[in-house]
Formats: sequence, structure tokens, C-alpha cells
Amino acid sequence: MSLDTQKRPQWWKKKDVKQTFVFWLILTPLLGYFSSTIQIRSIGAPASETMAGVINLIGLFTWVAAPVAALVGAMCLTALLSKRHYGDNPPEEAENEIRNSPRANALWVSVSAVLCLFALVVGLVVFQKDAAALTDKTAMNINVTGQQWVWNYDYENGVRSADLYLPVNQPVIFHVTSKDVKHSFWVVQMGIKIDANPGYVTETAVTPNKIGIFDIRCAELCGLLHAYMQNKVHVVSQADYDAWVKTNATTEAAA
Amino acid sequence: MTTTMDRPASAPGQSRRSKPLIERLNIFTALALGAISAVVVWQLALHFLPQIPDGQQYFNREDKITLLSMVAWFIGFMTGIGALIAPFRWLMGKDLSHDENMFYAGKDLGVKRYFRFTTDHKVVGIQYLVMTMLIFFIGGTLAMLIRTNLGHPQGGWIHPQAYNSIVGTHGIIMIVGTIIMVTGPFGNFIMPIMIGARDMAFPRLNALSFWLVVAAAIPLIWGQFIGGITTGWTAYNPLASQAPLGMDGYIMFICIFAISTMVAGANITTTVIRMRAKGMTWNRTPIFIYGTVASVALALPAFPVFFLSQVMSAMDRALGTSFYDTTHGGSGWLYENLFWIMGHPEVYVILIPAVAALMEMAPVFSRNPLFSFNVAVLGIAGISGLSVLVWAHHMYMSGWAPLLNAPFMLTTELISIPTGMLFLVLVGTLWRGRLWVTMPMASIFALLWNFMIGGITGIYLSDVPADAFLHGSMYVTAHFHYTLMGAGLTGALASLVYWFPKMTGRMFDKRLSWISFWMVQIGFNVAFMGMFLVGLAGQPRRVEAYAKIFSRGNLITTIGAYVIMAGMLVLLHGVISSWRNGVKAPMNPWQAKTLEWSVPNPIPLENFDVLPMVTADAYGYGKAKS
Amino acid sequence: MSLETHAHHEHPDVVGSRNRLGVILILVADIAFALSMLFVYFYLRMQNVNDMWLPKATADVPATTPISSSTGYTITAIMAVGLLAHFYALRGVRANNQTQLKLGGLLALVFSVVGLGYQFNTIAGAPFTFNSGGYASCFYLITILNFVHIVLTVFISLGNWNRSRLGLYKADHWHVDIVNVWWIWMTVSSLLGAFALSFT
Repeated sequence: MSLDTQKRPQWWKKKDVKQTFVFWLILTPLLGYFSSTIQIRSIGAPASETMAGVINLIGLFTWVAAPVAALVGAMCLTALLSKRHYGDNPPEEAENEIRNSPRANALWVSVSAVLCLFALVVGLVVFQKDAAALTDKTAMNINVTGQQWVWNYDYENGVRSADLYLPVNQPVIFHVTSKDVKHSFWVVQMGIKIDANPGYVTETAVTPNKIGIFDIRCAELCGLLHAYMQNKVHVVSQADYDAWVKTNATTEAAA
Repeated sequence: MTTTMDRPASAPGQSRRSKPLIERLNIFTALALGAISAVVVWQLALHFLPQIPDGQQYFNREDKITLLSMVAWFIGFMTGIGALIAPFRWLMGKDLSHDENMFYAGKDLGVKRYFRFTTDHKVVGIQYLVMTMLIFFIGGTLAMLIRTNLGHPQGGWIHPQAYNSIVGTHGIIMIVGTIIMVTGPFGNFIMPIMIGARDMAFPRLNALSFWLVVAAAIPLIWGQFIGGITTGWTAYNPLASQAPLGMDGYIMFICIFAISTMVAGANITTTVIRMRAKGMTWNRTPIFIYGTVASVALALPAFPVFFLSQVMSAMDRALGTSFYDTTHGGSGWLYENLFWIMGHPEVYVILIPAVAALMEMAPVFSRNPLFSFNVAVLGIAGISGLSVLVWAHHMYMSGWAPLLNAPFMLTTELISIPTGMLFLVLVGTLWRGRLWVTMPMASIFALLWNFMIGGITGIYLSDVPADAFLHGSMYVTAHFHYTLMGAGLTGALASLVYWFPKMTGRMFDKRLSWISFWMVQIGFNVAFMGMFLVGLAGQPRRVEAYAKIFSRGNLITTIGAYVIMAGMLVLLHGVISSWRNGVKAPMNPWQAKTLEWSVPNPIPLENFDVLPMVTADAYGYGKAKS
Repeated sequence: MSLETHAHHEHPDVVGSRNRLGVILILVADIAFALSMLFVYFYLRMQNVNDMWLPKATADVPATTPISSSTGYTITAIMAVGLLAHFYALRGVRANNQTQLKLGGLLALVFSVVGLGYQFNTIAGAPFTFNSGGYASCFYLITILNFVHIVLTVFISLGNWNRSRLGLYKADHWHVDIVNVWWIWMTVSSLLGAFALSFT
């Protein structure tokens, strides 16, 4: 006997349905708040718009997923709180077994499809923004070379350094390659990453919007000292950046 | 019709004269012949392979020697176990007699049949069960080494090179272990009985698929002693081409395992398509069967791509070709594509049977029919079909084709729809059921919890901008452990407890199953929840030391890992003690309705005296049923 | 009658059709393998990384020149003749003509051996080394794996001919049907390889 054949006004009045609804109302904000807060807290402060976007995205997706997870959780709780049977022999068979419910199926699948579409659209919008940053004419260009197990940076003005200095609020495009095996250039708090491949040059772009010292970590296993292939990026004011460039232009660091 | 036996076909073990070849071969002859062949070819290669002139690639010659000797091991082992007897008999036109086939099936051989090339699917199922447990034992030990090292930020307990190798070996061993963990023991032992057949379509291929896994394992172990597998389980080139000789062990392991998968895939698929009992229409075929077939049918075209990638890796190392070497026209992106074309379907190969098994158990432990069988099948089919279209989401950050990131994001997000269908089926089955509290039932809830987390975190990862932050971090590691282990392994362990009575004739000790369930599940969530957080904080994966800020999260994960370990050891104890002196099981302890519960223990050699006739599906629970 | 099933004497047609399905499924794996090889070939050719698909001449080594595509097509032709020979044998056994079965089988065997020799010479006589860039690497991959295929074909056609000779296909002949499926794939896969290699 499916839900369809029961008297239409009755199903949401059933005790277990009401119970599930209540659970769902409680679980949704709990799950949403807990999961998004703990994740966002773990990430720490963003150092670029891009990273702020990633944080928002994670928060948004978590809140959108919360009702779904809460529904599954609520139904599970209701099932668990009903009379459970213990022992070596099976309990009696269920009263009103439900083999199918075309309505439930259709609803479930269409809601999943809508959520999926939503995730896709949100993702594409942000994706477009990131892609557009790669063609920004006002950006400064820095060549990044990864090799076992260091990063080296070549700046537009001919400066070569093992340190990455960036002026704040200035878009930058990184052109990344490797001298040996695959590495991955991850500027953690700025939320950008691109692999460093031997034989190819790949790009990623970002605009740092906070002054400070942030982390660069290699995100692709590249051999013995992969864990130590880390660096700091110094985001400084334009004036400090120019000063740094001046000092380094005269003493070009060896590769 | 001639036979090669000197005497009239008679019961084995009767001979006072020379034993026929078939009767002499077993795991010991296989190991011996394999080892001898490896050593002989090693010596021959060492002496007769030309030296490399100056200026040629380093390591070429040693790779040739290692690979040749591993191939010799393989041929020797397979010859020694008797796998080549049937093909050569075919060639000579002297097919196996009825008695020889009975011998192969293990008739009257007692315990010895588990150590031979035995074709009875029930024997193969037990062999796979033991092999899987061994694989998890070794893989789990490696995991404990990793987590112990990571308990302290400076690492330092294990040398970086050894650490990298432990990580890579742990990964590949677990991947193979999780691939076979449900379809191996239960797909082989239970499936033919569940469809009402006497054996599988190709019993000799069945035995072959098992012994190939054993043959494959040795090069992997051997590789540990010649430098290890320092590249992570993905063995990316060009890193793999500069890796030590241990990579050859990885290469051989995969190549041999790929053949096993192919053979098992053809066997299981043909069995299900052609050998279901009369009356078992597709509508009446249990969902576990769908899950098993989907998994192996997906592996069938996917694994050869992996196989090819490794052949090319071997050629680059040993012959100096340049498939992956950009200085000579090769490309690391080629490797990534080949690898992930296999790598993504492969995770569904792992997941689907485990979820399907739990879908099979849900009606039994809620005394409710399976909710919406058609949606379940559609979900499995949808996942399988879409899984071949998503692979490059593993390569969003590689830079190989920025324009393709968006289409792959689309296909990847779409997979959430059929995946959601599986949740619907499980939850719908539990709804208004009469819950029978057993460890398999509890596992369903654990799956829902773990898979929810694994699935949603997968959605974050599928989003290209978010992946720019998350890729290559411990977040990814946590995500795939939640899906493969939290969902996959949970299903496998439930299957073990559920089908234990049918496979061994004894009940799995209840108390031990519960203790291990809670320890594993709690330990698991503690371990991997902590791992999400250090990933979000910026810890890359595959590192043996990390910045101090990640200390607390790592310590939590390590503690969780130790709890998992304890839980798994309790499970192992449960397996051994229940097998030896557990409560003798009735024929159908769960009062389930699938066909395997209608055969007595010990199960007759050919399962059924009279093949069953099926008139309804196996989900006829419920008082108001028609 | 061959005793593939160890008891219960199922009808040979049932057994034969089941075995045929199994072989086709195994071939699905092999087809995936072959198609991946095509992917490798065209991907590397399209990428032409560092202009090393066909490296130009340097001080030490001459330029890599590709093999003429006729070589690949010749192998395909040899395999096709073998296929035709086996098909002739199959027609024979279907018409209860054991002589035709044996003759066709023998011819197929002979051609598989000829193909083996020819393929070996192609590999051994290539005017470049393993280290000669992308094309050369792909060339060796395709030709060596085709060689492995032909070795299997020699084994299979030897078995087929020997068993025909021993009169094993007097009652049912589903083995011969399945060997025909193999020959078709052997020819098609040679053709795929030749096709790829013709794009230099």
C-alpha cells in the first residue's frame, strides 16, 4: 500500500511524520551552524577576495546541504526511536510495508537536481571570475619555478629571488613551471593553486588584499622533501615592495 | 576422448603409482617454482644483458633485470599453481575428464582444497576472504606507522624516503583490498547461490582470478626491499620514473591484478546474465547482484587503461621510451589522464558492492520490502554510467585543459543525483520498519552518516574554485576515507557478519561484532573528522612532517587511528574465535528471503540438489503484502 | 563432446553461447586497452611537447623518420587473410566438412606465424631507438603489443587446428566459433594500430 492510496489529508498528521519534521527543524540549523562554523574557523583569515569567495562558497554549500543531511538524519532518528527489537529471532514483519512511492521518488530526485544545478551555477559564476583574472591586463606577472625542493621567483623587472614579495591590492598572474617532477604551487591563505609541470607553463591569478606574511606550500608529492617544500609570501605596501625590488635588483640571488 | 591419466579415472589419493600433475600442484609448488624462476632469470639477466654505455639513462639496466625477474616469478608461480594445465590441455586436444574436473572442484579434498587451484566458487570465496583480511592487516599496519609518525609535528620517527614508501604502499594495498573486499569473498561465495546456480560460468577462471591476486602480491612486497613505492598510490610520472626500483614492484602488481580483475569481471557478468535460476527475471534479481555486476562491469573497461599506463611506465624506466618525459616528447598529463580514467570509475567499483550489500540487508533487518527497487537499480546504473565521465576533476589544478574544468564540474556534480537515490532507497526501507538491532543494521546507519559526510565534502571538492584551495590537502584524504572506508568498509564488515553463518556454518560472536563496530566507527570519525580540519587549515597531503599549527588535529587523528586499530583487532579475534567455536548457525538465522539462505550448512558441492524455481522477488516482507 | 561443464551435461549450444559471452567480455577489456593506446598516440602527437614528437636531427643522432604506413597495413592484411582462412574453416565445420575445417585451420595457423615473423622484423628493423621521441615510443608500444596479440593468435590457431585434426569438432564446434571472434578482433586491432601509425 503506497502513500498515494491513503487518504490525502492524513499523511502529514501521522505521528512519525510529525516527529520527523520536528527533528528536521532542529537538525537543520544545528548541522548547518556546526559544520559551517567549524570549517570556516579552521580555515582562518583570508588574504584575498578569491579566498573570501572560497570561504563563502563552503559556508553556502554547507547551509544548502544541511536540510538534506538533516532530513536523512531525522528519518534515521525516527526509525531508531521506534520500537526496536533485540534478540536472535527476527521481529514480526512490518505493518504497512511501502514498496514504492512515485511521489517521494520524484520529489527527492527533483530536489537533488535543483540543488545540483544550484551548486553548478554558483560554482560557474565564481569560476568565471577566477578565469577572468587570468586575462587582467593590469596584472603584474611573476614566473614561478618549482624544483626539488624549492620555489624560485622571477619578477618582471629581472629580479630573481627565492622569496615571494607582493604589493597589496595589485593583481598578479603567476606563470608556473617545474624543472623536474610535478609540484603544486599553493598560496594557502589566498586560495589559489596550480600545478607546476615540467615542460609546460601553467597560470593562476590572485589579488592579495591584506598585508602580512602567508604560506606557500607544495601540494603535490614531489619526492623526498616534499613536506619541506614551503615558503612564505610577504604582502607589503607598494612602497615597501618597490624598496624590496630596488635592493634585490642589485643583488640578484642565485637560483 | 582421451585423458592424460595413466590409469582409469579414479578417486584422487588412491595412487600407489605416480600422481598425475594436477594432483601435485598447490601453493607450495607455486611459490617454489616462482621463486626459482625469478632467481634464475635474475642471474641470467645480470650476466647477459648488455651493459649500458656512458651517457645513456641511469637505472635502465637494473629496471630491465628487475622487471624480467618479476615476470619470471609470475610465470613460474602461475605454472606452479597449475593455471596453465587447462590451456595446454586444450591445445593438445586432451580436455579434462569429469573426474579431473571434480578434483579441481575440490571434491573430497578437505582443507587442502584451499591451498590449490580449486574451482569451487565457495572455496574461492573463502580464499578471497582470507586474502582480503591479510591485505587489510598489512595495509592497516602501514597506516598505523603513518599515523604514529604523524602524531608529532617533526615526524622523525620514520625516514622521509621510507615514509613516502609506506604512504604509497598503504594506498595501493588498500585500494586493491577495498576493490576485492565485497566482490571477492561475497561476490564469489554468495552470489552464485543467491541466483540459484551450481557454480559460476567459468569455474577455472574463478580460481585463476584469485591466484592472480596472490601472484601479484609478491612483487609488491619484493618492491619494498628494493626502494619502495615512494610516489603515493597514484604513482604519477615523472616522479615515478625517477623513483627507485621498488616502482617495478608496483607496476607488476598492477599489471597482474588488472588481469585478475578482467577475468573476474567476465566471469561474474556472464554468470549473472546467463545462469540465474528459472523464474528469476531481472525484476526478481536481488539488488546485491546488481551491485556486484555493476562494479565488475565498470572495472572491465576501466582497469586496462591503468594497465596500459603502467606498461608505459615500465617502458620509460626499462627501455628509455618517453611517454611521460617532456624533454623527449612525453607528457605527465598523459599519465594523469590514463590514471584517472581508471581511477574514478574505480572508486565506484569499490563503493557500489558495499552499498548494494547494505541495501540487501536493509529489508532483512527492518522486515520491510526494499524501498523502490527500480530507483535502486537506476541509482546504481546512473552512478556507473556517469562515473566514466568525471575523471578530470582529479586534474582541475593540473593545468592540463582549463577549458575542460567546467564540463567536468558539471558531470561530477551530476553524480550526486543517482547517489542520492541510494540514500532514498535505504532511508525508505528503514522507514516504518520493525528494526532488528544487529551489527549489520547498525552498519546501515553508520553508512548513512559516513557517506553523507563523504558525499557532501565531495561536492565541495567538485567545485573548481573550492578545489583550488582544497586539492592536495588533507581534506581530500579525509573525504576519500569517508567514502571508501566510512561507507565502503562499513558495508564490507557488515557483509562479513551477515554472511558469516552461511560461509562458515557458525554465527559471528555478537558481543565482539558490536564492540568492534563501535570502536571502528567512533575511532574512524574521530580520526578523519580531525583530518578535515587540518586540511582546511592548510596541511598538504603526503607529508611526513608539518607545521606546528597542525599538531592538535594530527594528534586527534592519530588517537582515532589507534582506536580503529583496536576495533579491527577485536574484529579479527571475532573472526577467528567464531570460525573455530562459534555457535552453530541454523540454515537461515536472519529469516531472510534470498536463495543463499535456503541451502543447508555444510553446503553441498553443487549447492542445490534441484535447481530452484523463483516466483517472486526476495523483498516480500510486511504483513499487508500481496 | 568437450566437457566444459563438469556435470549435468548442459546442451552444447547453451555452453557455447555462455563461453562466447565470456570471451566477448574479456575482449571488452582488450578493446579498452587498444583504444587507450590510440588515445596515447593522438594525445602525444597533438601535444608535440618540446617539439619532440619527431625529433629533428642533432649533432649525435639523425632525425627520427616515421615508418611507412604500409607496414602496418601489411600486417593487417596478413591477419585478415588468417581471419578469412579461419572463417573458411568455420564454414566447413558448419557444413560438416571436416577436411575444410582442418585445411582452413592450418592456413590460419600458417598466416599467424607469417604475421609473427613480419611483425618481429618491423620491430627489430625500425630505424630509430626507444629513446627517439614521442612517435618512436608509441611505435614500439603499438607494434610490441600487436606482437603479443599475434603470439596469442599462434597459440589459439595451433590449438584450433590440432583439435580439428583430432576430430574434436565432429559433434559441436562452438570453440571454432569463438576462435573466429578472436580472429576478428586480431584483425581489427591490427587495423587500429596501422591507422594510428599512419598519422605521422
